[in-house]
Amino acid sequence: MTGQTPPFPERKREGAAIEIPRTENGSPARLVTIFGSLDVKGGKRAHYIFDVGQQRYAEVALPADRPLLSLARRAPAAAWYERELQDQYGIEIVGHPDPRPLIFHDNWPDGVHPMVDPVDGVPWANRDYRFLEVQGEGIAEVAVGPVHAGIIEPGHFRFSVVGDTVLNLELRHFYTHKGVEKRFEGSSVTDGVLLAESVSGDNCFAHAVCYSQAVENACAIDVPAQASAVRLIGLELERLVCHISDVGGLCADVGFSVAAAYAARIKESLLQASAQCCGTRYWRGIAVPGGLRHDLDSGKVLELSQEVERAHREFSDIARLILETPSIQNRFEKAGILRPEAARDLAVVGVVARSSGVDLDVRRDHPYGRYEHHSFEIPVTDYGDVMARANIRIAEAATSARLIEEAARSLPAGAVSVPFRADGEMRGSSAVESPRGELWYWMETRDGRLARCHIKSPSFQNWPAMPFAVAGNIIADFPLINKSFNLSYSGCDR
Amino acid sequence: MILDVIERSLRQPSRLIPVEALLGNCDGSRMPDVVVDHLTPDIARKLSEVCPTMAFGIEAQEGRDCLRLSYGRCIGCGRCMEAGQGCVIAAKHFHWCGVTKAQTVRFWDIDGRAEITPHAPNPQDTRGQIPSLLQRALNIRQLDAGSCNGCEAEITALTNPYYDLERFGIHFVASPKHADMLLVTGPVTRNMADAVRATYEAVPAPKLVVAVGACGCSGGIFAGSHAIVGAVDAVIPVDGYIPGCPPTPSMLASGVLEVLRRRLAR
Ligand code: SF4
Ligand code: SF4
Repeated sequence: MTGQTPPFPERKREGAAIEIPRTENGSPARLVTIFGSLDVKGGKRAHYIFDVGQQRYAEVALPADRPLLSLARRAPAAAWYERELQDQYGIEIVGHPDPRPLIFHDNWPDGVHPMVDPVDGVPWANRDYRFLEVQGEGIAEVAVGPVHAGIIEPGHFRFSVVGDTVLNLELRHFYTHKGVEKRFEGSSVTDGVLLAESVSGDNCFAHAVCYSQAVENACAIDVPAQASAVRLIGLELERLVCHISDVGGLCADVGFSVAAAYAARIKESLLQASAQCCGTRYWRGIAVPGGLRHDLDSGKVLELSQEVERAHREFSDIARLILETPSIQNRFEKAGILRPEAARDLAVVGVVARSSGVDLDVRRDHPYGRYEHHSFEIPVTDYGDVMARANIRIAEAATSARLIEEAARSLPAGAVSVPFRADGEMRGSSAVESPRGELWYWMETRDGRLARCHIKSPSFQNWPAMPFAVAGNIIADFPLINKSFNLSYSGCDR
Repeated sequence: MILDVIERSLRQPSRLIPVEALLGNCDGSRMPDVVVDHLTPDIARKLSEVCPTMAFGIEAQEGRDCLRLSYGRCIGCGRCMEAGQGCVIAAKHFHWCGVTKAQTVRFWDIDGRAEITPHAPNPQDTRGQIPSLLQRALNIRQLDAGSCNGCEAEITALTNPYYDLERFGIHFVASPKHADMLLVTGPVTRNMADAVRATYEAVPAPKLVVAVGACGCSGGIFAGSHAIVGAVDAVIPVDGYIPGCPPTPSMLASGVLEVLRRRLAR
């Protein structure tokens, strides 16, 4: 007899499975998201979304009242999504490599699944949660959080270290879980945007636009050109502000406080210019389904674009100096490498993907709004380290500044919104390249009200990749690596 | 190179906003204010209908029908300004930062067209005490109880060269054990409730607590969610409230100083 007998008999795994669609060149398509929903009769469904290329997202849906076979072994990016299906819908996933609860912590009772069960007065429980145990001689455990030193969001990190070197990092998140997707249920289509804006505060405009586009796609309406152009300006400004802030944050994390303060000043000047232009510092309350809440004064938009030009000139100058500084190079280079294979397996998006050799940008791959009217390069590199992510951010900031300037110079005139009717049953989805990467919304209405709204957040997608970038580094470099990813906790936890 | 960065930095003019200009400033927050001359029963009803968080409502006070505005609930969405036909405008000055819960609520007699707020804050109070406030030191520990990070972004801005809270002797510290004040953002999520309590316990007396943002003050847009316990005061005692979604850095600075002033005045 050839081959090896397994030490124990293979058990049959029973469950429905999906076929991963292929792109036109035959490779398995990138997983975008997995989410659950309920049909009119209350039956559970699981939706799998893939990017199949040629500007298309493909959906595979399965009835999910029976167990589903885990996809996570074939597509590791599915792992967290499947755990979310279990927690939120009680959908049974067979053969999952890590079936522990994800969203709810020890005080949430087993067997209560908010998307299907009543959630009034859910009793407080006391369940156990087992962290991974890394065993061996000289291995110590360092647990950090959920409350961290500094003004940042809560999350728990568990490092297994040998001396200073991190062997393994285990994440435990969802401390800021606010039940947002459940909150959408029953809300009016116009009110939904207020929730979308509060998913991840520093990316609020991307969320507002993405949600609005999903509604507009569902209603098959086109927003006026001026509204699209203003949205483009807001989206690129949000990216610019985020990237400036992140480069400053990286400097702060290596103790280069003069550069950090310089970047913080540039960022603040852009927020103040935004308040002058549209009334809010972070562009809240501007995008709504159908277009914009109100007209923006074209003179003020021009002033904003001049401020952007000035801010970016200062930023690119200081960014060049920062990167030329030997002690910065010393800290940024080879720190926190995320290898391209891991990036692909975990289907990461945004700056993190483009720094690890994955050429991906919704603005080009699934164009929306007025992006087709502009040409721009997508910077990609495969070093995968902190320096790579800093470089990509700096390059993208330049593109954003240019796009804002182009759009502001040729702002179309006319209406800023179109009326729409949200009645009966509709479905729509939409993608936006947020500052953190691909953001994807799916919404469904019944009787004109939201029955379901799912948010694929780039942070949810990218967090599982962080431990791969951290392993092998010294623990003192963790804040720097973490900052270079710049993921949102609230966006992930929702 | 480092020296070039320092040289660029030294060439910049000072951006520091004087404390007098910070107090009461709310640019970029879109907090509403009521122009009482335009108030009619119709408009009052409309305002309470369009407001997504029930910040506007109609309520009886002293036997009269009143328009109520609870700043702690307001997410600054601006709908009331559109619907209010000139009766609601974006506030030019905002004095409801760092105040007590009762003070965050305003009332207008609809028929009499007059404000009859029982607990109005006095904007002159903080102004009058600026010199004595500036002689203090205050250590703040920021605590995110489940925010969307919008409030964090604005709190971080307090350290930038425009606001520079350090000039008031106010520092952000890493440990609750070193803190005089907890600045708490977000609705308290179910997953954070224990950590919020533990952090509060770790702060030495007199433990000043400030609830930040619509979420911190009232739960904001998330009020009623199964995944949150409630506003900050549902879990720990709160000394002052700073409305806004998010409150701007000026509002945060004003609020922190106001809480400090009230504490010193006790
Ligand atoms: S701005 Fe505030 S008060 Fe006005 S409608 Fe929005 S939440 Fe209500
Ligand atoms: S108050 Fe607004 S900005 Fe602050 S955490 Fe809540 S939703 Fe976010």
